[in-house]
Amino acid sequence: MKRKSTRDNFLQLVLIVLLGFLTLTMIVPLLHILAKSLSAPEQSIKMKGLEIFPKNFDLINYRIVFSHPILMASLWNSIYVTVIGTVLNMLLTCTAAYALTRPKLTLKKPLMVFLIIMMLFDPGIIPEYLVVKDLGLMGSRWSVILVMAVNVYYLVIMMRYFEEVSPAVVEAATVDGSGHMRTLFSIILPLAQAGVVTITMFYAVVRWNEYFRASIYIMKAADTVLQVILRQFVVLGDTVSMVGQQNIFNYNDVARMDYSALKSATIVVALIPILLIYPVTLRFYARGALAGSVKE
Amino acid sequence: MKRSVAKRLWSERVLYLMLFPTILYFVLFRVLPIWNMRLAFYRFRTKSAWTFVGLTYFKMIFGSPEFFKILQNTIIISLMKYVLLFPFFVIFAIMLNELRSNRFRKYVQVVSYLPHFLSWVVIAGIWISMLSLQGGWNQFLSFFGIPARDFMTDRTVIRWVLFFCEGWRSLGWDSIIYFTVIIAINPSLFEAAQIDGGGRWVSIRHIIFPALITPMVTMFILNLGFFLNAGFDQVLNFSNNAVLSTIDILDTYIYRIGIQNGQYSLATAVSLVKGVVGMVLVFTTHIFSKKMTGSGVWR
Repeated sequence: MKRKSTRDNFLQLVLIVLLGFLTLTMIVPLLHILAKSLSAPEQSIKMKGLEIFPKNFDLINYRIVFSHPILMASLWNSIYVTVIGTVLNMLLTCTAAYALTRPKLTLKKPLMVFLIIMMLFDPGIIPEYLVVKDLGLMGSRWSVILVMAVNVYYLVIMMRYFEEVSPAVVEAATVDGSGHMRTLFSIILPLAQAGVVTITMFYAVVRWNEYFRASIYIMKAADTVLQVILRQFVVLGDTVSMVGQQNIFNYNDVARMDYSALKSATIVVALIPILLIYPVTLRFYARGALAGSVKE
Repeated sequence: MKRSVAKRLWSERVLYLMLFPTILYFVLFRVLPIWNMRLAFYRFRTKSAWTFVGLTYFKMIFGSPEFFKILQNTIIISLMKYVLLFPFFVIFAIMLNELRSNRFRKYVQVVSYLPHFLSWVVIAGIWISMLSLQGGWNQFLSFFGIPARDFMTDRTVIRWVLFFCEGWRSLGWDSIIYFTVIIAINPSLFEAAQIDGGGRWVSIRHIIFPALITPMVTMFILNLGFFLNAGFDQVLNFSNNAVLSTIDILDTYIYRIGIQNGQYSLATAVSLVKGVVGMVLVFTTHIFSKKMTGSGVWR
């Protein structure tokens, strides 16, 4: 019995070391980027990848980011696309999910087959590009907003949540003379709250992280979203158009600039909304998995 | 009879009105593009009507060695991401369940689910810096006396970089489905195994693993439908001129020739080939899975 428990303890130790190391690969890079963005350029340029504390705390990188005209414009565009886009996503997803979960809907089967084909068959980027062009959406933020208006996966998940609402409650409301729209907004949505919050968060994350469509449909740097600018600057290493000659001269401390720290600061700005949304998503979506760990 | 159907549809008119915006969206942004796919058989003209050229573009595709190289890259990267990575999700879920400390488990969960929410642009930004010569990973390896190398521009390791970063991003999130299955197992089963004198391994092999087979099969089949995708966003953001030839996949090829070079017809032809193969894969797996597990990819 005693030998067995030492073996068990050893196993626990191995697990903790392995999983602990794994979580470090996720935490250290993020802390490093944060530390770098908060350090003075003379120090940040010498920082090694595993250093996670700021050196000579300095906000210069954030001062540059938040006074940069293109970055600020793209930040506002991102917020615009995310807010309007998510509202549109939820309006379409909720109304469609409601109609499709009514038990006796005559055309339910053909509609579901239609949606599944729409989900499975990907026409590719050029045919979609031509449609966006023909509809005159090129260059507008609405191209990105409209082209991703409904996600079939999320629609199906939403239907699952709606199906869990007791039909008796819905029927009682109908008998009381409630129309479909009122039933959806005053009965279904509050009762399927966990689903509504979860899917809203999922859509918002997709919206905020979107860069590909925006990079194709929106050409002007001032009209595009943060992720596109971030990609140009951080991934493609395009420091000239990003920081720009005339932009650089706006800063007295030009000589002090460290591009990699500036990149880090831009990444942090792009991360903040995700970090704000994350706990809410966990609370509602992963609640089952997280609660399971408390149980036992 | 016919009249009664019409009557029923009329009585449901509000519901169809609620569905209308969604249907309109799919007609505009999915059905119209599918109709546009006929471009694969035409030469594109901006001002005048397209001219029919038959199978010209398909002959071009299947006659070029570049296409087969790209198809090979796509299949290799897909196999690594969908087949090789797959067991790790299950192992991770089992490891989580074996942890005795609830607080440590919760910590691992909260941290490991996060990368799933980061955009590929941000992930690429993080890893390009982590894997550079002065980056954290090389610094870590130097503790063991391993010389530094530039992973992102090294053609021999870049596919493994894709593999590990994909794992890093999805390990936690994609293991949730298995973990929820494990914690739903009736605890009395484990107690019975313990009374019979079985250790943890016996429980894992004879109770946990059998319970995980159904979700494993389901997830595996679902992934097969996306086999030719191989993760476009990741490849696009992780590629550079030094490694492009090893990780160029169908979708990056379509993007390059279509959007960047303006060869609309050729790019559409590649999309059509990819779409048709994808559909065949999905329907085959659907039929197989219906025969094997009784439930298909859908219903």
